[in-house]
Amino acid sequence: MSTATLQDRYAEVKDRFRSLFNVFEGALNGHRDQPMHTLRKAGIERLDVMDFPTRRDENWKYTSLNQMLRLPLQDSYQVEVDAATIDGLAIPGLDAARIVLVNGLLQTELSDLDKIPEGMELLPVDQALEDEAVKGQISEMLDAAVKNDHNPFSALNVAFAKNGFVLKVKAKAVVEKPVHIIHLAAPTGEPVFINPLLLVLTGAHSEGAVVETYDALPGADQAYFSNILTRVHVGVNAHFHHYRIQNDSAAATVVSNIEAHQQQDSTFSSYLVDLGGDVVRNNLSTILQGQNTMTNYYGVYLAKGKQHIDNQTFIDHALPHCGSNELYKGILDDRGRGVFNGKVIVRQDAQKTNAFQQNSSLVLSKTAEMDTKPQLEIFADDVRCSHGATIGQLDESSVFYLRSRGLSDLQARQLLQQAFLFDVVENMPLEAVKDYAEQLIEKKLK
Amino acid sequence: MLSIKDLKVNIEDKAILRGLNLDIKPGEIHAIMGPNGSGKSTLANVLAGREEYEVTDGSVTFEGEDLLDMDVDERAQKGVFLAFQYPVEIPGVSTATFLKSAVNAVREARGEEELKSIDMLKLLREKTAMVGMDQKFLQRSLNEGFSGGEKKRNEMLQMALLEPKLAVLDETDSGLDIDALKIVADVVNQMRDANRSFLIVTHYQRLLNYIVPDHVHVLVNGRIVKSGDKSLALKLEDQGYDWVKGEAALAE
Ligand SMILES: Nc1ncnc2c1ncn2[C@@H]1O[C@H](COP(=O)(O)OP(=O)(O)OP(=O)(O)O)[C@@H](O)[C@H]1O
Ligand SMILES: [Mg+2]
Repeated sequence: MSTATLQDRYAEVKDRFRSLFNVFEGALNGHRDQPMHTLRKAGIERLDVMDFPTRRDENWKYTSLNQMLRLPLQDSYQVEVDAATIDGLAIPGLDAARIVLVNGLLQTELSDLDKIPEGMELLPVDQALEDEAVKGQISEMLDAAVKNDHNPFSALNVAFAKNGFVLKVKAKAVVEKPVHIIHLAAPTGEPVFINPLLLVLTGAHSEGAVVETYDALPGADQAYFSNILTRVHVGVNAHFHHYRIQNDSAAATVVSNIEAHQQQDSTFSSYLVDLGGDVVRNNLSTILQGQNTMTNYYGVYLAKGKQHIDNQTFIDHALPHCGSNELYKGILDDRGRGVFNGKVIVRQDAQKTNAFQQNSSLVLSKTAEMDTKPQLEIFADDVRCSHGATIGQLDESSVFYLRSRGLSDLQARQLLQQAFLFDVVENMPLEAVKDYAEQLIEKKLK
Repeated sequence: MLSIKDLKVNIEDKAILRGLNLDIKPGEIHAIMGPNGSGKSTLANVLAGREEYEVTDGSVTFEGEDLLDMDVDERAQKGVFLAFQYPVEIPGVSTATFLKSAVNAVREARGEEELKSIDMLKLLREKTAMVGMDQKFLQRSLNEGFSGGEKKRNEMLQMALLEPKLAVLDETDSGLDIDALKIVADVVNQMRDANRSFLIVTHYQRLLNYIVPDHVHVLVNGRIVKSGDKSLALKLEDQGYDWVKGEAALAE
């Protein structure tokens, strides 16, 4: 395709986002002079200087969002969902405050806004921007999201996010109960544009977790675009866990930009389970701002049908005595496709870095595909780094062993596939979330 | 129970079994001995249904049905069990989960109900005790990091749980210390009854001191070249295989 045509096509896409924004802005009356609005405008204006990624960009070589970009996306609007439906989406055994967003819009009645655990605080983003204590940090975070120079999606999220939240974990608070954000796509008959936005600020010496689940109601089989923005600032000696279990409809496009910043002695752990969606693209990165930090990335992907799941991860070791541990495993069946691009840089000053990365995939059909690219760039000499990538099939002698004890071929293969993925999931410290993820995986393998 | 007629098996076009005949009646224990590479494990694996082995001729009938026509799992469900010479390690699959699935799969095939959790626990407790295995192995991944002897014990545990009609033990005694060996013999002797048969592949007369076989066969070069009673095992232990090989060569 010639450059001119591409430019024209994306010019058209940009215009559609701009007019969508104009409609949104028109409905905002009264809120136009709020600080959030300035950021939103900066978000949409980002399209003036940034292009949508194409497959000619090295990091988008295998993933095209064109199908979604061609859709006449609509802004999301309120859809009624009853309490029983939401109860059905709760994680059994998980004691958590639930926040419910349907098509990106907060369902106040269904949410435990008044039951946020002690030591945590949940604020709407626009309110946080007027809160003396956090407004500086929050506007910086949003500004950085707008200026993301890898893709325009985080800027678009800022422009369009309706019910973005700031989750604060207070200094020294060790909060055992997580906040569970239930994201639900409900049928609208039109391709909607959903922009979940979560900013996490954790104080020094604190500990906390957020669990995000993404589901779709039956009937939500029209295409929709879930454009997720998550930014986490982990304070000095603070420990934060971010769980995301994505079980969107098979017609969804999911793009997420997740970025963590870590102060010294902190831990950030990310657990991503991708089961749903048509095209899924996760950009997960961490910036280390102090020494002696630990970063854990755990990822599971399971693509069947013609699902496409692309994980890009990046850890920049710029300071000494930091560790990172990354384990991604996935299964590609039918015409499913997976991409993993894990970049780790260990800069010259980052002595005593411990960086481990492993990506393993099972490709179970002739038409399934996996492309994996571990990129470890080491410029320091006193470090311990290892990485590995394997792509294989189920071990047939294991299948035989199980069958020789009476398990059917299907049962044997399911059990082995489960074991392969549970190896990642079992690293989740929240037992109830782990069990839930395992159940969903088991169900999808059936 | 089992009738093998003129069985010929190739692996990658190489003839391994070259016309093997064997009849096992209900309640009988047969032992097969023979030099390394003579085809003992090949026979065991063909009975279990391993696909890499190509049966070029002959037949195997199990309780009147064509065994070679059955799927691997169907054989297990109908009561054929192979204790492997080298059980595979399966990381991530807990031994307990696996054992429960196996017990229920076999029960379901027999038209029995799934065992209730509490009954399953009782059964597992009883049988692990029977094979002298610590309960904590149940929580570990299947055979992963098990010692040679522990793997063999686990095979015996599976046999005890699945209660097959025909159990083939492929060198279950190799690598076992004397206590473990006695346990294997104990399990077999406890399970021995008028309707259950065993085919025991071994290199050592030692095991046969504890499990007294009804028949002993010598497999050389893909054929049974000599059969006898338990005294044959003693003679082999004493004199090695050369004399049988010699007799076999003369016969050809
Ligand atoms: N998968 C295979 N591919 C090629 N050759 C094989 C394979 N499996 C077995 N063989 C060959 O078949 C022959 C018989 O092997 P088998 O394992 O049946 O012997 P065995 O009698 O059990 O020996 P041992 O006493 O050492 O266990 C050997 O020569 C072996 O190398
Ligand atoms: Mg052998």
